[in-house]
Amino acid sequence: MILVIAEQQQGKLNRASWEAIAAAQQLAAGAMPVKVAVAGQGLAGVAGELAQAAVAEVLTIDHAALATYTPDGFVQALQQVIAQVAPTYVFFSHTYQTRDFSPTLATRMDRALVTDVIAIRAVGGATAFARPMFQGKLVADVVPQGEGPFLVSIQIGAYRADTAAKGSAAAPITAAAVTIDESKIRQKPEAPFQEAKQAVDLSQAERIVSVGRGIKAVENIAIAEQLAKAFGAELAASRPICDNGWLPMERQIGSSGQTVAPKLYVALGISGAIQHLVGMKGSRTIVAINKDADAPIFEVADYGIQGDLFELVPAIIAELQKA
Amino acid sequence: MAERETLEVDILIVGGGPAGLSAALRLAQLQKQKGGEPLAIAVIEKARDAGTHQLSGALLDPSTLRDLIPDFAAKGAPLAAEVHQDNIYFLTAEKKLPLPITPPPFRNHGNYIISLNQFAKWLAAQVEAEGIDLFMGFPGQHVLFDDTAAPGAERRKVIGVRTGDRGIGKDGKPKGAFEPGADIHAKVTIFADGVRGHLTKELIQTLHLSATSEPAQFAIGIKELWDIPKDRLAPGTVIHTLGYPLRDEEFGGSWLYAMPEGRLSIGFVVGLDYQDPLFDPHAAFQHFKRHPFISGILGGGSIVRYGAKALPEGGWNTQPRLHFDGGVIVGDAANFVNSTRLKGIHLAMRSGMLAAEAAFDAVRAGDTSSTSLASYKALVDASAIKTELYPVRNVHQAFGAGTMAGGAYAGIAMFTNGKGLPDISGHPGHQAMQKIEDYYGMTKRDILVPSNAAPIDRRLTFDKVTGAHYSGTHHDEDQPVHLLVQTDVCHSICGPEYGHPCVRFCPASVYEMVDNGAGGLKLQINASNCVHCKTCDIMDPYGIITWVAPEGGEGPSYDGM
Repeated sequence: MILVIAEQQQGKLNRASWEAIAAAQQLAAGAMPVKVAVAGQGLAGVAGELAQAAVAEVLTIDHAALATYTPDGFVQALQQVIAQVAPTYVFFSHTYQTRDFSPTLATRMDRALVTDVIAIRAVGGATAFARPMFQGKLVADVVPQGEGPFLVSIQIGAYRADTAAKGSAAAPITAAAVTIDESKIRQKPEAPFQEAKQAVDLSQAERIVSVGRGIKAVENIAIAEQLAKAFGAELAASRPICDNGWLPMERQIGSSGQTVAPKLYVALGISGAIQHLVGMKGSRTIVAINKDADAPIFEVADYGIQGDLFELVPAIIAELQKA
Repeated sequence: MAERETLEVDILIVGGGPAGLSAALRLAQLQKQKGGEPLAIAVIEKARDAGTHQLSGALLDPSTLRDLIPDFAAKGAPLAAEVHQDNIYFLTAEKKLPLPITPPPFRNHGNYIISLNQFAKWLAAQVEAEGIDLFMGFPGQHVLFDDTAAPGAERRKVIGVRTGDRGIGKDGKPKGAFEPGADIHAKVTIFADGVRGHLTKELIQTLHLSATSEPAQFAIGIKELWDIPKDRLAPGTVIHTLGYPLRDEEFGGSWLYAMPEGRLSIGFVVGLDYQDPLFDPHAAFQHFKRHPFISGILGGGSIVRYGAKALPEGGWNTQPRLHFDGGVIVGDAANFVNSTRLKGIHLAMRSGMLAAEAAFDAVRAGDTSSTSLASYKALVDASAIKTELYPVRNVHQAFGAGTMAGGAYAGIAMFTNGKGLPDISGHPGHQAMQKIEDYYGMTKRDILVPSNAAPIDRRLTFDKVTGAHYSGTHHDEDQPVHLLVQTDVCHSICGPEYGHPCVRFCPASVYEMVDNGAGGLKLQINASNCVHCKTCDIMDPYGIITWVAPEGGEGPSYDGM
């Protein structure tokens, strides 16, 4: 059995949880059941959403001590639930939160943890988890050793959320009982930072319009903004734009910014330096507009238009407004 | 705001490379041999993990290693392959011409191909096993001088190092996680901060340590690690080339070192004394990879890592005064590299060992003055460092007259063991760069295109930004720029005079001239691309770039380099 740990914040499900469910369903291939657990407080809405998936059960780990995330609280709760459910694998999506607590959880359980997995395949009869090394230059097939359950975190964007199979009927929702010793929670979370409050989490965006140096001047950002509005997309940028202060740094995509995998990524005047590509190449459909036919962005684009964005973008906006 | 902490040790070693780590290990050995009250020893290193900022070819002459760790093989020293075949070629644009004999400095039997990153990591483990504290991710920010000396006193005593602050924002103001650097006070500080060490530079300026030395000479080495088909080069194969794509006026050449499993170290060295202001060393490396001989070796392979580092080339006569009140200088920081043999790791290690011996005795004797620490210089003069470097002391300087003339001089020096040859006085390399008008006459040129621009195919050849990615370099964007530049020079005379050469000599696209919105250009510093090679600090023709340490733990990630 595979237990997927979904992630939520204040009753809002992290979209990447669907990717972890998709990965679990593909590995299970109907031959083993998949269950989903989610921790927090006030989980009815999130659980209902998760119950649409073709899974055997949705477990809610509802506890006042889990209302705000702490690594110690989550490790205590998840360790108990994993012991109760006794799965073969535990899947997470490789979010910041997973990165924070999963090493502790694995160490506490003395079980193997394979992080940032991009594919699962059979290697010599064993199930191997492929994960990138050397900044994505090499991919290693990792076969976890020792006793299960094996803990696996799935890279965001490696599996598509919309391939997660939905069930014909809602899955049963069960409350998992856990006892949490609050005196063992060493972290005392404070109110989120001011900058975090304003931050845009581009990794949750379904559509992104991203601008690069080809936009030429700060006043031209408005053109990209209009296109983003027409698409219902978030606005993002490559590094030079944020360096210039034309857009805030939190909207930067790439190795020194955010990694995203939206359904649609429109790159306007972005040449496609490798630092940018690593932040968006997992996008489902990439549309690139660039004057330079040799720009590396065209190597990853599904649709490429060689041309002047100042002519093309208004034309696209006009078409979108017609529709 | 947090208080600045002070730490007291007997001996502080600044820099966790081969020199610093050898010093630390030798101190632990002396402690065991000589007994007595244990000395407090600390090593600080700016990289997050041991070896992460270490880059070299590298060929290791194991002579010092044998003396320092006689059972190095049993202790699992990571020596990738023993050299079993030496090749040296002169390249023309299309062909390779084997040299009739392999010149003695290029004979490498008995030497090992190593990854300096792995080697330093292993050395650090040996040091930690001796119970010495390695503080990783702590760059030295400034040298601490004893300012209690009488006013007007000429000599200033070094009392330690201040480490870098953490958590300063782009605007120079402390962020939420601000933590001031610590003052580490030591009776003796061993400066092992590497080629063009920024603390050693401060020492040289403040204490006039180079007053009687020849000007230091440097080169830039640009390296890539490749995976190529396993059967292409036998592990232990060493290839060096001279010639193409460099012209007679440029000093340099290449290396290819084959390791097991198809792993190949390939790199290109260019003297930082080239004349053409529009020349680009990185572009030269790309041309080199496109040479039929080289592309035949690399074809079908793929790049794994990229990096660059300056290297001291000036030799014996360029060493600064090695000792002063409260400290000594070792390794690359003291220019201990044999550029004719392309080797310095064993000399760095040797100087670290000798400095450890001098420092240990000085602390025990309760006298860490310059006079007491002069024993380090005496040990260096009586050691293999001098035996090896003195005969070839003028070779790099002779190359100032052109590759052919330099080669002839190197040959004579080799046969006579350097005896009877007059010292050649060199000029600082960056002074060799000519102004556009002088080099090109009045010809107008597009100053932002290198004179040796190379095609980029993203298979064999890569642009610098892609290189920066493969260096694994990382810096928090929200911190002060760690390259201090007097930009009024960039925005006034540098364009017309030299055409902004920083854009070309930087191997990681840190410097960019961008549209200033008023029809001109302005300098944009992409500090987070920096691979800590120090080339800009060395080569800028006006001497207006100063490299300082960024936040601790940041910089390249040279796994396997």
